[in-house]
Amino acid sequence: MVRLDNVGKRYGTDAEILHDVSISLGPGGFYFLTGASGAGKTTLLKIIYLAEPPSCGLVTLFDTDTSVADRPAHTALRRRIGIVFQDFRLVDHLSVRDNVALPLRIAGAPEREVRENVPELLSWLGLENKLDAHPATLSGGEQQRVAIARAIVRRPDLLIADEPTGNVDDDIAMLLVRVFERINKLGTTVLIATHDVAFARQFTHRRYHLERGSLALAVDGAADA
Amino acid sequence: MTGARRLRVPQQFRLDLPLRRDASARFLPWIIALMVYLAAMGGMGLIWLRDTIGRWDASLASALTLQVPTDTDQPRLDMALATLRQTKGVLSAQLLQPDETAKLLRPWLGNYVSVANLPLPRLVDIKIDPHVTIDYVTLRSHLASIAPGASLDNNQSWLGSVRDFALRVEGVITAGVVAVTILIMAIIIFTARIGLAIHGSVIELLHLLGAQDAYIARQFQVHALWLGLRGGVIGVFAAAATLMILGPAGHMLALSVPIAPYGIFDWRVGVLLIFAFAAAGGVAMMTARVTVLRQLTRMP
Repeated sequence: MVRLDNVGKRYGTDAEILHDVSISLGPGGFYFLTGASGAGKTTLLKIIYLAEPPSCGLVTLFDTDTSVADRPAHTALRRRIGIVFQDFRLVDHLSVRDNVALPLRIAGAPEREVRENVPELLSWLGLENKLDAHPATLSGGEQQRVAIARAIVRRPDLLIADEPTGNVDDDIAMLLVRVFERINKLGTTVLIATHDVAFARQFTHRRYHLERGSLALAVDGAADA
Repeated sequence: MTGARRLRVPQQFRLDLPLRRDASARFLPWIIALMVYLAAMGGMGLIWLRDTIGRWDASLASALTLQVPTDTDQPRLDMALATLRQTKGVLSAQLLQPDETAKLLRPWLGNYVSVANLPLPRLVDIKIDPHVTIDYVTLRSHLASIAPGASLDNNQSWLGSVRDFALRVEGVITAGVVAVTILIMAIIIFTARIGLAIHGSVIELLHLLGAQDAYIARQFQVHALWLGLRGGVIGVFAAAATLMILGPAGHMLALSVPIAPYGIFDWRVGVLLIFAFAAAGGVAMMTARVTVLRQLTRMP
């Protein structure tokens, strides 16, 4: 599903952020990506969700070599990926409902589908009373759930979450991972990046660790869920 | 949701980008309105100019004037009149009496100057059939032999100068309309580029959520269409109001050709105003679309 071969990334003449990274994420898998702040986790995720091109190496998404894929092909690949950004990146002037509906509308889904699916999903995440609220009026936890809802509303093949547990207490973090596990059970491959190695170790999911730009399978990693 | 139903905005007009909050949304319609106003006034000027030239053309094409020196005796005058009346294509030849000639000169000389003592030429007002070709060289020579110093004026040289002048004015007005259109396009390009810069983070987000360039461009083009139509309607109403004010003013000045013969009830003016309104929206929309699409292809 996702395959990176010998991927490197540097900006200009700066030092290499990622060095010779190779990783393979199979369909239906659940993965953690750990590493200290500044280790290059977000850069690696950006390469996977096609926000940044690699400086070298090969990125294959859904059996498509991204280096030769044209612009429409990149768009098609992005539509198969759901992203929960570290800073949520909710659109301030849109309501919760419209924020979550964005991927559906972008994909040209009929409004009937938007009207049916969005409130149902938000209700599942406990935000049924926040449909018409704007992001600025929500708590951090609520904004995060809106961001998750937006990421999964189109049932993506791959869900990427960048530090989703970074700004919440342990109980909420645990609940969030349970949510991601439920999504994973529906067939979505999940990749969660976190700096909290101890937190990730609580789960049996395979874990990759990034240190000074180099990636390795963590020794405590178990088989795919 | 409780109570009232939500107003559903058609998908094509929904804006994910907060373009309506930009400062350009406030000032741009007024700039477009001014441009549309100038273009509409220019267009109406063209209509008026063509009407005026056409009317002069029609009236002067069927009229000639013969000037006979003041010292020409009556028998020669009668012979000249007879010659004119026998010429094929001449419908009538009427000698103007001195008081009629004086009346024609009154606008230049005023009421208090006596023309009785002025050596004014005698004028003959000639009506001709514009569909019959008259041999002016022969006629002029014949008339000069009867009344030496007589001159026949068929107004063509004067009308030619007027036509030439009108053509230049038309060129200037057309160039002005083109300049206004280019200016609207330049403003829209500038505004669209600013919008792309201001909303770069949301545009990047939309891309990452799988938006095609056309989806993002549609946001800008819908916004530009809205601004263009708002500016267009203001400009068109201002132009119509100006026409309604200037029309009666033409009558008050007792111009030989009214400024607006039919005013806003002239179908051509109606078509012009509707076209100006639609063009403002169309030019703004298409310019925004092309600009944004070109800029987006440079983004990752």
